[in-house]
Amino acid sequence: MKAKMAIASDRDPHVSWAPERSSGVAASVQGISKRFKKSRVLEDVSFDVAEGESLVLLGASGSGKTTILRIIAGLEQPDRGRVILHGKDVTDLPARERGVGVIFQAYALFPRMTVEKNIAYGLKIRHRPRKEKRETVDRLIKLVQLEQHRKKYPWQLSGGQQQRVAIARTLAYQPQVLLFDEPFGALDAQTRVHLRREIRALLRQVKVPSIFITHDQEEALELGDRIAVLNDGHLEQVGTPDEVYNHPATEYVATFLGAANLLLGVAARGFVEIGTARLPAEKETRRFRDGQSVKLVFRPEDVVISQDANLPEGCRRLTNGVIEEVNFVGAYERLTVRLDLTHRKGDTDSLYQVTINTPQKMTGVPIMVTRPKPEANALRFKTGDRVAIGLTSFSVLPNYTLARQR
Amino acid sequence: MKITSIKHVRGFHLARPVSIGVMLGIMLPLVLLPLLSIFVYGFGKGPGVFWSSLVAPEAVFALKLSMATSFWATAFNVIFGLFAAYVLSRYDFWGRNAVIVTISLPTAIPTAVAGFALLLLWGRYGMIGKYLSERQQIMFTPYAIILANIFVTFPLAFGVIKPVFDTMSRSLEEASATIGATRWQTFWHVTLPSLRGAIVSGALLTFARAVGEFGSTILVSGNLAGRTQTAPLYIFAKFNEGQIEAANAIAIVLALLSFIIFSVLFFARDWLEFAQEA
Repeated sequence: MKAKMAIASDRDPHVSWAPERSSGVAASVQGISKRFKKSRVLEDVSFDVAEGESLVLLGASGSGKTTILRIIAGLEQPDRGRVILHGKDVTDLPARERGVGVIFQAYALFPRMTVEKNIAYGLKIRHRPRKEKRETVDRLIKLVQLEQHRKKYPWQLSGGQQQRVAIARTLAYQPQVLLFDEPFGALDAQTRVHLRREIRALLRQVKVPSIFITHDQEEALELGDRIAVLNDGHLEQVGTPDEVYNHPATEYVATFLGAANLLLGVAARGFVEIGTARLPAEKETRRFRDGQSVKLVFRPEDVVISQDANLPEGCRRLTNGVIEEVNFVGAYERLTVRLDLTHRKGDTDSLYQVTINTPQKMTGVPIMVTRPKPEANALRFKTGDRVAIGLTSFSVLPNYTLARQR
Repeated sequence: MKITSIKHVRGFHLARPVSIGVMLGIMLPLVLLPLLSIFVYGFGKGPGVFWSSLVAPEAVFALKLSMATSFWATAFNVIFGLFAAYVLSRYDFWGRNAVIVTISLPTAIPTAVAGFALLLLWGRYGMIGKYLSERQQIMFTPYAIILANIFVTFPLAFGVIKPVFDTMSRSLEEASATIGATRWQTFWHVTLPSLRGAIVSGALLTFARAVGEFGSTILVSGNLAGRTQTAPLYIFAKFNEGQIEAANAIAIVLALLSFIIFSVLFFARDWLEFAQEA
């Protein structure tokens, strides 16, 4: 630890103080499993965090994300698996020897210490010289923009200010990795958005690899260089925001991150067949055998609807449908469309067999479609309009009958 | 503290003066008058008599002995109470609740029983006492008084400190650990400052209770004037001898002392708890 700090302090502290490694992996969690009493909390969870990267662990409450964080921090012992920080196995090290910085959900600032004493705490317990303490505190207080508040006590600060103190307090001892436990949970919606941009900027500046945990998908998409989606103790997918959002690996990822439409179908010769609808999907169905049951997953904003048969380039036609409902929800328009999935060749009438507003006779499968304002204004739809439906982007996922087959 | 009461729109607020009057009327003969009488009789024969009774060698010795024994009992019980509260709120083990109940038990035991029990254990023919040589005997010495004080005030400091431990957020200690502090550093820099108010009030309570202890002390001390006679025993002895003035002078001192301690407890509590938040 001491040697590491000596190296780090020779460099410009604003640039980077995470020790460099050729591997580029700052933190690595390998095959972590954990049980509390009888219940399984984590099952064989593995992921890496690269140097300077920020990874978001996204999951619903009870998915085990806090437990992962506590295991990395050394506040909890895994039943199986290893935690590697900068190439060193720290699984058996106590929390205080790991050199990780934890920003707790309620910040856990020391109530009897001023802002500067809180920040200096890490150096104080390491018995660093007074001069170093003062310089570090000065530099960090400036970094988190709390110059006017250095003599104040935590209870005199706003939530956002307290959080910045908590971050400065961990940066003071040059942590190997920063762990944020639901960092914005206790804040109101406006402060939340503001703060997470601030933190993002701050992390870019200090370049300390960080792991965030959150249940907020918007937060995850904005904060993470990569997102790890956790469900019931196991990882569903790890990828960039673009990957997990646009190419969800599982149904859970698709539905947890944003809204998604889900249709059951069958893979057949380069198509996904859903009822009588056939969606060309050469590439997407390659990994399935003919006749295998699949799920077609697509986002409401990836649906293109048109009143003539001409769908734009790069958009694959799914089927026809009828507009059932039109809602304006602020920034975009939301439509419910009933798909015709029973149309047969030669059956000219079938497009009009899709009926609405009569629950007894209602046929077709409803999907959700969203359109941005300009598009909604340019081409207005009303209930009962018949449209052609195409998809610009979608995923084809296996449809397991049993959850355990995953 | 702001006191609010039900406001009536019209009419004479009879309920208010009557209820206050009834309360004071009950308190007067039960609490206030006895206290007042100590002062009235104590100074009845003039301050000279009071003063000479106070500085009588036996009286001075009794007061000093009371202070010293109470001090050591308090010191022990605060430190032990802190330790026990830490252990019992931080570790879970089999029989933990039984220990908590046992620690609190002395509050419910009559002090004479406590003194008697100590005699049976440490006395010359007691379970432990019989193995001690003549010089090692501790009954009927000041150490016996400390022992008795420790026994009867055992749960007081613990009782004040434990709830504070229980409600203290674990994440403070966890934060300190992740920052790199040892258990001891965490305790010293983080845990202890939050307990300051509880420790001070626990100590004052323990001390006040120990200074006034009579039942167990009279059994284990032997009540030897100038050697093992504490202030309450002195009052009892002088009263029995008919020396009302001598008893009264010490009674005044003890009454004032407890009055001061409870004033500190009452008014300084807020200051101790929130000194840095004012």
